[in-house]
Amino acid sequence: MIAALMVLLPLAVALALPWAKRPAVHRPLAVLGVAATLALGVFATGGAGSLEIAWVPALGTWFAVDATGAGGVLARIAAAVMLPTVLWAGARVDDRPQVFLAWLLATLAGLVGIFLARDLVLFYVFWELTLLPALAMLAGWGLTHRRAATIKYLLYAVAGSFAMLLSVLAVRPLSGAEGYRFDQLLAAAPLLDPLTQTWIFAGFAFAFAIKLPIFPLHVWLIDVHEQNHPSGAADVAGTLYKVGGFGLFAWAMPLLPEGANALAPLGLALGAFTAIYAAMIATRHANLKRALAYASLSHMGIVAVGLFSLHLAGQAGSMALLAAQMVTTGGMFLVSGMLHDRRGTFELEAFGGLARGAPALAAATLVVLFASVGVPGLANFPGEFLSLLGAFQSAPAAAVVAVLASIALGAFAVGLYQRLFQGEAREKAREIKPLEVAVFAPIVALTLWLGVAPAANLTVFEREAVAAHAAAAAVAPPADAQASGGER
Amino acid sequence: MNGTWSDPVAWATLAPLFALAGALANGLFGRRWPEPLPGIVAGVAVAAAFAVSAIAFVGLIGRDAGVALTLWSFLPVAGLDVSVGVVVDALSTTFLLVITGVGLLIHVYSVDYMRDDEDNARYFALLNLFVASMLVLVLADSLVLLFVGWEGVGVCSYLLIGFWFRKKANADAGRKAFIVNRIGDAGFVLASFLVAATFGTLTIAEVNAQAGTFAFGAGVLTTIGLLYLVAATGKSAQFPLHVWLPDAMAGPTPVSALIHAATMVTAGIYLIARLSPLYAQAPAASAVVAWVGVLTALIAAIAALAQTDIKRILAYSTISQLGFMFVAIGVGAYAAAVFHVFTHAFFKALLFLAAGSVIHALHGEQDVRRMGGLGRRMKLTGTTALIGTLAISGVPLLSGFFSKEAILGGTWNSTLVEDYGSRVLFVLLLATAGLTAFYMFRWYHRVFAGPSRLTKDAAAKVHESSSLMTVPLVLLAAFAALAGFLGLPSFAFPNWFKGWLAPALAQVPTLHPPLWVEWLLVLASIVVAAAGLFAGWWIYERGKGAIAAKAGGGALGRFAEGGLGFDAAYRAAVVGPAEGVAGGLAIADRDLLDRGIAAGVTGSSLIGRAVAAWQSGYVRLYALAMFLGLAALAVVAAVVGGRP
Repeated sequence: MIAALMVLLPLAVALALPWAKRPAVHRPLAVLGVAATLALGVFATGGAGSLEIAWVPALGTWFAVDATGAGGVLARIAAAVMLPTVLWAGARVDDRPQVFLAWLLATLAGLVGIFLARDLVLFYVFWELTLLPALAMLAGWGLTHRRAATIKYLLYAVAGSFAMLLSVLAVRPLSGAEGYRFDQLLAAAPLLDPLTQTWIFAGFAFAFAIKLPIFPLHVWLIDVHEQNHPSGAADVAGTLYKVGGFGLFAWAMPLLPEGANALAPLGLALGAFTAIYAAMIATRHANLKRALAYASLSHMGIVAVGLFSLHLAGQAGSMALLAAQMVTTGGMFLVSGMLHDRRGTFELEAFGGLARGAPALAAATLVVLFASVGVPGLANFPGEFLSLLGAFQSAPAAAVVAVLASIALGAFAVGLYQRLFQGEAREKAREIKPLEVAVFAPIVALTLWLGVAPAANLTVFEREAVAAHAAAAAVAPPADAQASGGER
Repeated sequence: MNGTWSDPVAWATLAPLFALAGALANGLFGRRWPEPLPGIVAGVAVAAAFAVSAIAFVGLIGRDAGVALTLWSFLPVAGLDVSVGVVVDALSTTFLLVITGVGLLIHVYSVDYMRDDEDNARYFALLNLFVASMLVLVLADSLVLLFVGWEGVGVCSYLLIGFWFRKKANADAGRKAFIVNRIGDAGFVLASFLVAATFGTLTIAEVNAQAGTFAFGAGVLTTIGLLYLVAATGKSAQFPLHVWLPDAMAGPTPVSALIHAATMVTAGIYLIARLSPLYAQAPAASAVVAWVGVLTALIAAIAALAQTDIKRILAYSTISQLGFMFVAIGVGAYAAAVFHVFTHAFFKALLFLAAGSVIHALHGEQDVRRMGGLGRRMKLTGTTALIGTLAISGVPLLSGFFSKEAILGGTWNSTLVEDYGSRVLFVLLLATAGLTAFYMFRWYHRVFAGPSRLTKDAAAKVHESSSLMTVPLVLLAAFAALAGFLGLPSFAFPNWFKGWLAPALAQVPTLHPPLWVEWLLVLASIVVAAAGLFAGWWIYERGKGAIAAKAGGGALGRFAEGGLGFDAAYRAAVVGPAEGVAGGLAIADRDLLDRGIAAGVTGSSLIGRAVAAWQSGYVRLYALAMFLGLAALAVVAAVVGGRP
């Protein structure tokens, strides 16, 4: 029951916010809504963590949600990152802040739905619903070229959705599953013949590859980040919404193991290429937000590499990396908003020397930035290391290419830090202020926690990957050789 | 081996936590503290770390096995079961004592050296954070945790090289160090993946145990050994990744002493020593380690001949001495390598701190051409620097003599790389030892002896440094002089150091030539040290440096001064092309991929019109489209799917 409330509560707050008349209540209400969602997430364990009620029996769909698995972990972390985001957005968005906050809450509701849904139709509905707030924030609060960026985003999203819709429509009738619930599909879909699996998997993978994104389906991402509201809050929402990797992990790969096998080489190749391609571009970019967008694209390449390794360490690691980048990439977009506050632009040439006036801002940024490029002891490292370790076991060449990307990402991080914070300042920068400290606090705390004690989350991720491999092996005995390749 | 907290040896686990607490205290509150409180807090933290290290050392004497402690689970995935855990044994304890002992002296020195710096607290926070990371590195029981420390020290090094970040050159130097180290780290990561694939574990003790069961010279062990060597060349500034260390001198001088001489740069040697059972099974990889070492030692010694910056000479000297350690660790003389780490920590930290004392007295002057005769005005600094110079040159009975002799003897007598030219290694290394004595004499003479070349202004202000700075110099000088007696030549004398380390290192059989040969080897190293010093005296004292001035002005001199052209070559062959490719990709991504897809999509008239329609109210239309999609889903599912 609590799991269902995790979806409904932020949705209710989102619906209430635009009607709240007094501006003073907007931000507290939004923060409270997110905090309550997070609190629910903490208590959504055991029996209270899942719910199953028939939704449209004629269609075989259920309102089935579960917060005790991998999705539950991601939902909690998404809520935790949303907390500083609404805090920040409430103060930084001047134009109709209550509506902007409502869209952020709606994003959270949609995300929680995506992560907790245990019914494919429900998953698809949340997947689509969450696009609305993303588009609305871009179209309503973006910069000058927001229109072009919105259309581009929309076209890519629609193309992906269409492909996924076909796969959703196809999977149940073709497999003869009793319904759209995950366990019902899992009992039937892996039995499909490899060719059919491959086609259905391809439909999912196309949608997920756009949403990850990976090369060459990524171009919408860069413009979206560049054109979003300069507070960076919408970019955080966008970062949390990079759920393609989760879709592969939780749906496409368990249900269609043969399809995953068939397309794994392509996924590995594109993932590894994305990782190094985007990291190299990130080192050369003169615009802060575009540089961050490319760096985050590079992480997504590593997520893809880990997933398509079809190895336990790689798959569990890719989910850990997905969780970590919510915090660190999201955190960097919040930093971009703070920097925009100080210089009024994202062009890097306007920056430099900020560490002198704002040493605490520099130090906090350094922690998040270095975490994002996989410095050990901080958030991204466990996931990145395991993703690549898994890839190395099944496709050493892809792993080597992706490891080389970490050199470029390191160069990106120190290059960016130098251009922002080092050197001589043209004018003295303002030091971090209490609101910014409050925004940083949860981000830095999560960065350290995910970096120092990742074991609990990894155990959950691995348990789910093991279950998927085992289910595939049990249902389709002759074809399990590669799918369970990760087990020792 | 599994320990508990009731065992005092296990308390060494707290050492990194003390340093971390110091870093946090200074980082969060230090800016509001009155000077010299930041330095005191940082010093107390390191002193506490030293205390538990000393307790561990005493507790371990006479014990064979170390103590292992598992703290919490870290990566419990795919059967790897990586934990956060420590191993306190002879090898890690030796490093603990060096890091915290030399570290403590350098903290004390820093209190005065950094007294007037406005970012005092940031300095001490980073210095403590470095110590914490370095302690994690040497205590780690798994390759993953070792890597946590490995990159941690790299980050601290990066931040301390660029400590005075307002000057672009300093920030550039830090960035260069970080990127070059990242290249090495890629080797570390790949090696660890191969270890996981081969042994199914990343716990060092298990890896070592399993490596012993592999065939001698097995290909996979060689590959693992070579990949970890890539990592070691980065961190320990060995050819071909040594280029960052000379630039790293941009950092404050105590940082150069602690990080870029005594501790962090020896991490590569520590890594290979830690994996010595694996390397002892991989002769080809070991031979590459030794050859990388001897090439580096020689290249850096040549470059050191022509430097004019008081710290850059020492930087190249450090690279060269690390090369000596690589030779030792490559030929299987593991204890000798660690022994040289130990003695080098004292005399090189001493030399750097003496240089810092000079720079302090000259208000930032670093060019040895504008020094000279300072020993007469700065008696303590000059005398201690002389002891350091003689120790590194290999003058008998000083520490460097014994540790260098152990390396040379170990190379001559190596069985591990006997088939890979161990005798040639010996000859090259011996020649480098002669060069070392020569360039170190030059360093000392240009700074402390001969006529003064100071400007009048500078000469008037010269003063000996305060006791906060000279007491560490004196203590380090005492160790630089006497530490060698812990490791007397083992063919004729008791060698305590070797026995102490024996349980923690692989034992490789050595040749046992007749005793007169062993003595001849000792004689040879005395002769080359004497020859190097004499040549230095001949050229710089007697000949007033005239020959050197002529040679230095020539093409060869400039080549050596430029570090043998590595920077220029890398800029042309690696950095430039990489930047070009990255820039090209950035353009291609926007102009070809993005615009190309856009043109392809909008070109088709149907979608073009749809776009036009959407431009008015795209969000609402999207909602409609989605609704239609769901409706389609419902219809199709109802019709095709049916009820079960």
